[in-house]
Amino acid sequence: MIEVFLAMLLSPVLCSLPVAFAWLIDPKPEWARKLPILAVVGLFISLICALQILFSPDRLVKSDWLPEFNINFVFIIDYLSKIMGTLTALIAFLIGVYGLEYMKHDYRLGWYWFFFNLFTASMLLVVYSDNLLMLLIGWEGLGLASWGLIGHWFRDDDELSYVGEVGRKVAGQNYFWSPSTGGWRAISTIRVGDMPMFFAIAAIYFFTGTLNISEIHWEEFAKEVGSFGIFLILFLFMLGPFTKSAQLPFSEWLMTAMTGPTTVSALLHSATMVAAGTYLFMRLSWYIEPWNLHSEGIEAIYIIVLFLGLISAFYGASVALGCLERKVLLAASTMSSLGLMFASTAACAWVGKIAILVGFWYLVTHAFAKATLFLVAGHLIHETHDRFCVGGKEVAKHLKLAFIATIVATLFLSGIPPLTAYWVKSAMDGVMHSLEHHFGYLPLFLLVVTSAIYSAFLAKFLSLNFWKGKEVHIHPHGGGLMSLAYIAMASMLILLLYIYLTGEGFTKLHEFAHFVEEGFLTSSLMVGIIVLVTYLLALYKPRLESPIGKALGDRLYMPFLNDYIVPKFGWFLAKIADYGNRLIDFTCHQAIPSLFEVYSLGVRSIQSGSMERYVKIVVAVVLIVFLISAGMGVTI
Amino acid sequence: MTFLAFLLIPLIVTILSPLFERRVATWISALAFILPMFSSLYGLLTMHRGEEILFTLPEPVGDFYLLYDPVSHAFGFTICLISAMVALYSLPYMSHRFEEMHANAEREFRKYWFLYNLYAVSMLWLVYSGNFLLLYIFLEISLLASFMLIYLYGYGNRQWVGILYFVWTHIAGVLALLGFLIIAFENQTLAINAIKTVGFIPWLLIFLGMVVKLPGLGPHIWLPWAHAEAPTPVSALLSPLTVGLAGYVLLRVYTIDSSFIDTYRDLIIVYALISSVYAGLSVFKQRDYKRLLAYSTVSQMGYVLIALCLGSYGLIGLVVQYMSHGFGKAILFMTAGAIIATFHGLRSLDKMRGMHEFIPTIANAALIGFMTLSGIITIGMFAEFYILVGLTRIYGFNVYLIAAVVLVFVISGLYSFYTMKSIYYGTPLKYEKPKFSKLLDVPLYVIAFFSIAFIFPPLAPALLDGLRAVLGVIP
Repeated sequence: MIEVFLAMLLSPVLCSLPVAFAWLIDPKPEWARKLPILAVVGLFISLICALQILFSPDRLVKSDWLPEFNINFVFIIDYLSKIMGTLTALIAFLIGVYGLEYMKHDYRLGWYWFFFNLFTASMLLVVYSDNLLMLLIGWEGLGLASWGLIGHWFRDDDELSYVGEVGRKVAGQNYFWSPSTGGWRAISTIRVGDMPMFFAIAAIYFFTGTLNISEIHWEEFAKEVGSFGIFLILFLFMLGPFTKSAQLPFSEWLMTAMTGPTTVSALLHSATMVAAGTYLFMRLSWYIEPWNLHSEGIEAIYIIVLFLGLISAFYGASVALGCLERKVLLAASTMSSLGLMFASTAACAWVGKIAILVGFWYLVTHAFAKATLFLVAGHLIHETHDRFCVGGKEVAKHLKLAFIATIVATLFLSGIPPLTAYWVKSAMDGVMHSLEHHFGYLPLFLLVVTSAIYSAFLAKFLSLNFWKGKEVHIHPHGGGLMSLAYIAMASMLILLLYIYLTGEGFTKLHEFAHFVEEGFLTSSLMVGIIVLVTYLLALYKPRLESPIGKALGDRLYMPFLNDYIVPKFGWFLAKIADYGNRLIDFTCHQAIPSLFEVYSLGVRSIQSGSMERYVKIVVAVVLIVFLISAGMGVTI
Repeated sequence: MTFLAFLLIPLIVTILSPLFERRVATWISALAFILPMFSSLYGLLTMHRGEEILFTLPEPVGDFYLLYDPVSHAFGFTICLISAMVALYSLPYMSHRFEEMHANAEREFRKYWFLYNLYAVSMLWLVYSGNFLLLYIFLEISLLASFMLIYLYGYGNRQWVGILYFVWTHIAGVLALLGFLIIAFENQTLAINAIKTVGFIPWLLIFLGMVVKLPGLGPHIWLPWAHAEAPTPVSALLSPLTVGLAGYVLLRVYTIDSSFIDTYRDLIIVYALISSVYAGLSVFKQRDYKRLLAYSTVSQMGYVLIALCLGSYGLIGLVVQYMSHGFGKAILFMTAGAIIATFHGLRSLDKMRGMHEFIPTIANAALIGFMTLSGIITIGMFAEFYILVGLTRIYGFNVYLIAAVVLVFVISGLYSFYTMKSIYYGTPLKYEKPKFSKLLDVPLYVIAFFSIAFIFPPLAPALLDGLRAVLGVIP
């Protein structure tokens, strides 16, 4: 079995090496423009391996790494990893196919394909890792690859790759971001979360003697380190997922990450990178089983995650409502969805395992829908040469497939009965409703409001690009491969609907039956109707032209945190350090040496060679000795 | 006997290398370090431990012997690998430098190879020395050779910088020597395997000397001068290899008698943390590529001092940190040098932007170098891991220390990628795409290969299990 894992992880990376080297060695490698097909073949091999694992029995697959330290390569095959792995491989493969056409004329194919495939391999490593250190390799790989891909167009010379209106200033601060800034922002934000997480991993290793999530006795561990200890470890650990999944206040990097090629955004937002954070939280919760534990520290963590998730979801949805840039709108919506996944999973501490499953299947649904929308957005940007939402009925007429795919994705994702997301969202309503005894109706309220806004901006996306947006003339050519990819992606949503409604018995947990049951409740139906109403409203009136809309479009001025507050503080400290260095440098290399010079001059001035001077000195010394002796009362 | 034979190769080559024409001398010098590199790698893989007596001196000096254990082999491997790769890199770089200095390249190369090999081989022998006096002798030789190299071929005000370097490192050397002498009189020997105790005064003297050499905050001020103005191949040995040897000396003293660190642990770790954070912050303000890297060295050497305070896990972290910093910094100094050599002395960050456009291979190597420094999918990951485990073991849930160590690691990552962005990305400035020798970029990738290979079997378990066998028993 270990060979299957190796093939799955190595094939994408190895198959991308030819194109990577071609671009590294030859400055104009026109001959290598067919090599990306090989890279996609690598992704396909991963998909085959993932499918094989999907149909294997649950177990751990181990291989030696540092046996003396009880740290080994441990792959886990279980419910979560099987489905997540297949999802990742499938989406990466489809986006890879799309990328063959989308990136055809790019100037840096080697870089692109190497990091794209590294991205996929890293995510697969995260998905199947049971060992936390091995997971961390994949985790860092995700960070690195996302940095490389977000800053792919490093020359910063194409306005189409920026985020924000180029040239615009808000309160004296540039309100637009270049690709190289986007990349730097991504990796610097992630770093802030990864290092605390690394500490938590080291602490877990020290106290439990193992790094395998499934083998840690969480209950004993929690008892050993006490309430504060477990709180601290889990909190620091969760900073990793929080930054990776762009929860407040770490959300800005995700918005400026839209400077990367659209394919990257699609992959980043559906099944890799940001999903890695939520996925890791699900995996952890799956084995911690917080519903069986009575630890105040653990409960506190789940409360934090629950509310942080809900608030981020609300923030993300509101921002998306005001956004007019295609990709940034979708990015904000992803943040919102991630918040819902976190919140739903966190509810498992009171509701039980079903809450994790709800979060997980929402992730799956969201992944396909969001990937579809991004791929459509990419195609639209290609055709209209505009990052902002533009396009009227003419666009819809010319790009029928894109139009259809968008309708399917928005309808199926917003939670309109009886389409795919509705069933999961209903179950989520149920989960939040069961938290009534602990937190009142607040979670449910936040969820319903977020859902309503969510469907509104999805409708807005549809309306502004295909119906009521500014009319543009386009002359589409080609695009066959791209359309194929997003149609395939969108049709997965229909397949998923089929699974939800008939798939009982596919797994032994009966979660789908639960989804359907929840979906037939009157309260769920009410929420579904609210969502439908906001969808239709936004479809007819897609623009929010008011100061509020403007503020939302400016992301409630959150960029100031990353552009102003943090750098100002950082540069202030750096300046102090710099002054300190100058002072030490001056003292050691100027002041002290010149002091020696002064002494040396003084000593040398005595030795002038003139007799008269020597006599004077002798007389002076004798006089001084006399005076001192007299002063001290010594008589000679 | 075999290990000794391998260690003798570079020593013999040092004497012979001036006899050859520059190209031949380059390859012979590189080979002279590649062979012992394999022997130390073999030593790591087999977890070889042993001693080999060279000769015995009367009291209070004791046996001069060679000490083989995974710690020596780990250090030795790093020194050999980097010395060999930098030797290859020296050929195009120093050719450029001699041309710039209007010197007779053929003649200067003969001097250069003697000094270079002497410098590198003295460091190699230092880490295999089983006697503190022997160790001190090699320490002095390495300082003299590197001083000569800076004095002769450095940049800027090179005589001044050379003397500055000489004075500072001799403060370090004399303090350490005093410490060693007191040890000798207390124990009647300086053989590492025979010393029983290290009292407070000698420990303090050695510690202070090594803090000057490492360097810690305060004395660190010599380092940016020396590392920035040295000819780049020398910087690529000074920063990755030489300064870190202070950590090696401290480690050896610690394994004999840890009393000093045990008593003053809290004070030292706070100093180390401040030093590391401070230097990390200083990096952001540097506008000279080599000075920037020099400050990053100070920050990274803070890790070594932190690791020293963290028990046996920390010591494993110390060794791995030496290796990871060595690999990363050697690559980075060579990237700085490659820019200097191909863009005619370009080293100011103000005149660099989007350099990836012109020198993609160098830019990608720099990326791996910075990844190594920040511990992303490279051997640096293990250094951070063991430091963090050690932190938990010694200090448990001390929130302030956790925050400080995490901050140190965060800052490393931040300045790494900030530098990448400001040098290699962004709108390219108007330069021509240069053509340059393969020896300016291929050696970087050889080091990069090891930096990544060391997180996977068979190298990772060989190194870490070996270190555990030696250091794991220390409380």
